[in-house]
This record gives sequence, structure tokens and C-alpha cells, in this order.
Amino acid sequence: MDENELIQQAPGAPPIVIPMTESAPQPVIIQQETPKRAEKSGPLPITNRPTQGGIPVILFEGVSKVYSAQPNKPALSNINLGINAGEFIFLVGHSGSGKSTFIRLINREIVASRGRLLVAGEDVIRMRNWRVPYLRRNIGCVYQDFKLLPNKTAFDNVAFALQVIGKSKHIIRTQVPEVLRLVGLEDKIHSYPDQLSGGEQQRVSIARAIVNRPPLLICDEPTGNLDPQTSLGIMRLLDRINRTGTTILVATHDREMVDSLRKRVVELENGYLVRDQDKGVYGIDA
Amino acid sequence: MRSLAYFIKEAFSNSRKNFSTTFGGIITIFLSLLVIGVFMVASLIIDQMIKSVESQVSISIYLHDDVTDMDLESFKGFLSNMPEVSTVVYISKEQSLERFKEQATTDIADQLDGNPLPALLEVSLREPDKVQSVVDQIMANDLFLSVIDRPDAPQDSIKYGKDIIEKLFSITSTIRIVCIALVILLVFVALIFINNTIRLAILARRKEIAIMKLVGASNGFIRGPFLMEGFLQAVIGAGLSIGTISMLCNYLIKNVQTILPWLPINMGQLSLWMIYLVLLGAGVVIGLFGSLWAMRRYLKV
Repeated sequence: MDENELIQQAPGAPPIVIPMTESAPQPVIIQQETPKRAEKSGPLPITNRPTQGGIPVILFEGVSKVYSAQPNKPALSNINLGINAGEFIFLVGHSGSGKSTFIRLINREIVASRGRLLVAGEDVIRMRNWRVPYLRRNIGCVYQDFKLLPNKTAFDNVAFALQVIGKSKHIIRTQVPEVLRLVGLEDKIHSYPDQLSGGEQQRVSIARAIVNRPPLLICDEPTGNLDPQTSLGIMRLLDRINRTGTTILVATHDREMVDSLRKRVVELENGYLVRDQDKGVYGIDA
Repeated sequence: MRSLAYFIKEAFSNSRKNFSTTFGGIITIFLSLLVIGVFMVASLIIDQMIKSVESQVSISIYLHDDVTDMDLESFKGFLSNMPEVSTVVYISKEQSLERFKEQATTDIADQLDGNPLPALLEVSLREPDKVQSVVDQIMANDLFLSVIDRPDAPQDSIKYGKDIIEKLFSITSTIRIVCIALVILLVFVALIFINNTIRLAILARRKEIAIMKLVGASNGFIRGPFLMEGFLQAVIGAGLSIGTISMLCNYLIKNVQTILPWLPINMGQLSLWMIYLVLLGAGVVIGLFGSLWAMRRYLKV
């Protein structure tokens, strides 16, 4: 039962509800002090966050990622950041600023070049390959392109995520309709992806990401393909999921969304963390 | 157990989708194993042939019609006293003719005027491989020239199965080399074919695999259906080749035996089963190895 040790929540059990008060989550912010960082890109990250708090669920300590295709331009440079359980965080920045790299480091689609990255207390950089699937069972993932299987219905797409980690038919029959109801698709259970709108497809993919009740949900541009109205619906859904205690990290370009929800905002620029702000907006100078 | 059922289900549905490549894989395994099997059965038969020919090796000494009883008796005594010799049998002219009549397919013997066939001594040996030295000793004996049918050509009066055995050996060694080369080639082709089918199967399901990885399916679970597919192809191919070979063997024993009665075809049932087992094992190894090879390159999990 290795996967249960990873995060103190048994799969299939109801999610741990962490009350969302205005001041509850207090992540550790480690000020970036390396001289290299200071030389190269000016000011330290602007932050209004206090530097004390509980044990973070995600902790970046001096994490860098250099792709072999661009050895002189790190995709991420010396990132220090802590994310507490139950937080809702927007990750903003221009294209190429390192948002996707940041996201993909967390579920170990890629491995950081330097530093220490703890997810739920486990070092994902030094993690053994065979442990990775168990890490991912605790991380829900939502992408811009939905990644749904076109030959499966909404139900089957969500059920697939449970099937392939070996859940019983009984669990699938009870959990899948429940999670589809949660995302507001109770009447489209047997529709195929091409019969659903973009927003509905994204809801299916969110349903798939949370059906196993992961404590952490990471979203890479979840509203990138959607119109503002639909995007708002998706963000409200994510907010609702967050209120059940799930930690949510959203990488986004959606200025309107970030500005209206006023969550913690982390900004990346050219691979550097330049801002970490509670109840922030999309652009500091906007 | 639930996953095993899932692997089999997936393997079958995938085989249906890529029927032509799956079919190609099965046929390649089938043909490769068929050649391996035929080679093994053939070498089994040849081994038995060599053994039976060796055991039949006897030395025939054709005798002069007017040989005296005394010479004959002392020559027989000399032969019987040789340590390598097990029995010495005298076959008279009449018996010789009887034998010829039995073996002859035509009634040519009846039209013969008198009896042209010589009497002979049949010497059978304890150890077939000593035949040459025994023959040399016989030809060196003083009485030899006085008893044989044609003293002017002693070589023609003494016959033994030397030529047959040497020919048989040279043929079988050639066949063996050709077969081994063919088997290696075909195993290689089968491996490539399986590798190719599994690679296509992986490419066809790239998206599904990406999602499986994303939601945390274990590596074994992702690989399972592909391994199962390679395994099933191999087992079906091996089954086909085993069936074909057992049919061929039955045919061989029933029909060829009656046409070529001198050719002893009797394969032990046990060695046949061993061959089937080897074929099945080889098929499974080819199937699993071929799919593992494909996955190593295309399924980095």
C-alpha cells in the first residue's frame, strides 16, 4: 500500500476537508539568495507573503531545469517555493516562461536538473522509476487539450482512469456517476467527446483527474481553448473542488480569471520566479 | 487476476484492429517454427536411420560354387573365432535364390536357367564401427582366396555397408548446416515481425498509453496487453506449426512407410512430444522477446 503512505489519504476515502479561511494556509517562502540569481535578473521576487507556516505539500528548493536542447538557457532557474495543503495557486507568465516545465516537474513527466523537489514529502527528483505511477495516483492532471479518448463515452473516459489503476467494478460504478454529477455532466454521461462542447469536454477531463480523489490537482492552461464564459464555469468548478480540500495549481494565461478569483499568484519570467503574491492579480503593473 | 483478464481482452481487441499485421506475425512464427520442427523431426528420423543401418551392417562373403566342405568349415571357424564377430550364417545357393524371389518385384527369377546366385556367408558384428578392420583381417586370411566366388576380383566378393554409412553421414551434415542457417534466419525474421506488430499496436494506442501514464497506471499494467499480444501470436503460431508437424508425421508414417519399406520411420512418441514442447517454448520466447524489444524502444514509462 505504498501509494497510501505518499499522502495520508486512502484512495477511495472521502477527501480530507481543510477549512478555507482567509489566513489558514501559510506556505514557506524561501527568499532567493544566490548571487547568480541576483546578478542575472534584477529584483528578488515581489512578495507579500509571510515567511512562516506549516509543512508544504509541494516544496521547491533551488530547483533548476535545463533541457539538453538549450543548455545555456535554463527553463527554470533556482526556484524556491512552498505550496501548502488546501491552497489554490495561479501560475502565470508569458509563453516560454517555464510554467509547463514547472507543472511537469511536479508529476515527474520530466526530472529537474538541480535542487530538491518534495511532493507530499517525497523527493521526486531522486524517486525510483517504479514509484512514479504511485506518485501520479495522488496528482490529478488537467490539460489544455483535454486528452480524452474519442472512442469512449464520458463515463468510460472517467472509468478508464480507475480501471488502469486496478479499481474494482463496484468502485467504478459508484464513483464515476458521482464525480460526473459533481462537474455538472449528469445528463451527458453516455455522450462521446465529439458530442460534447469544449467546456463539457474539459469537465470530463477534470472529472477524470479527481475521480481517484487526489489531494493535489494540477492544471496546465485548463481554459486555454475555451471562451471566457465557459472558462469562468471551469474556474468556478476548480474553486469548488478546492473547497473540498484539494490543493490546486493552475498554470494560466487567463488574465480575467486570475483577476476575478484573487487567489495566490506565482509569476515566472524567463525561468525565474519573479512574484509570489496572496490574493494577487495577473499583472502586477496592470 | 482482474488485470490478466483485462490484458487478454485488450490483446484480442487490438489484434482485431490490426488484423493484417497480427496475421503476418502469426504466419511468420508459424513458418519459422514449422521449419525448425521439420528439421528436428528429420534429424530424429535420420538418427534412427543411421542407427538401424549401423545395426544392419554385416559382411557378406560370396563363395565359390565348388568350395570344399573342409575349407568352408575351417574358414567359418576362423570367422567365428574373431572377437568382433557375433554370428556367422551360411546361406546356400538355394536359399539365396529363395531370398531373391521374395524381394524381386517381377517374376524374372522363374525365367532363370539354373541358379546363377552364389552361396554366401553372412557375418554380423558386435560393434558396427569395427567393420573396416574386420574386413581387412578376413581378406588377409589364407583361406579367403580359395573360398570366394571370384578370386580374380576379391574386392567384389566381400560386401559391407561402408558406402551407405559414409554417404548418409555426409548428407546429414550438409542438411544440418543448411537447416541451422535457415532456422536462425527465420527466427530473426519472426522476431522482427513480432517487434513490428507490437510497435504498430503501441503507436495505434499512443494516446491511451499517455493517459494511462498520467493517471498512474503501473508500468506492468501498461505493458501487459502488448506482452499478452506477442504471447498470443506466438502461442497461436506455435500451435499451428505443431498441428502441421503432427499431421505430416502421421502422413509420413502411413504413406511413405508403405512406399519405401526399407526406410525405417519410427519416431518415438516421447521424442515427438519433446519436439512439440521445444517448438512451443521457442515460440513463446520469440513472442515475448519481440514484444519486449518493441516496448523498450517505444514504451519508455
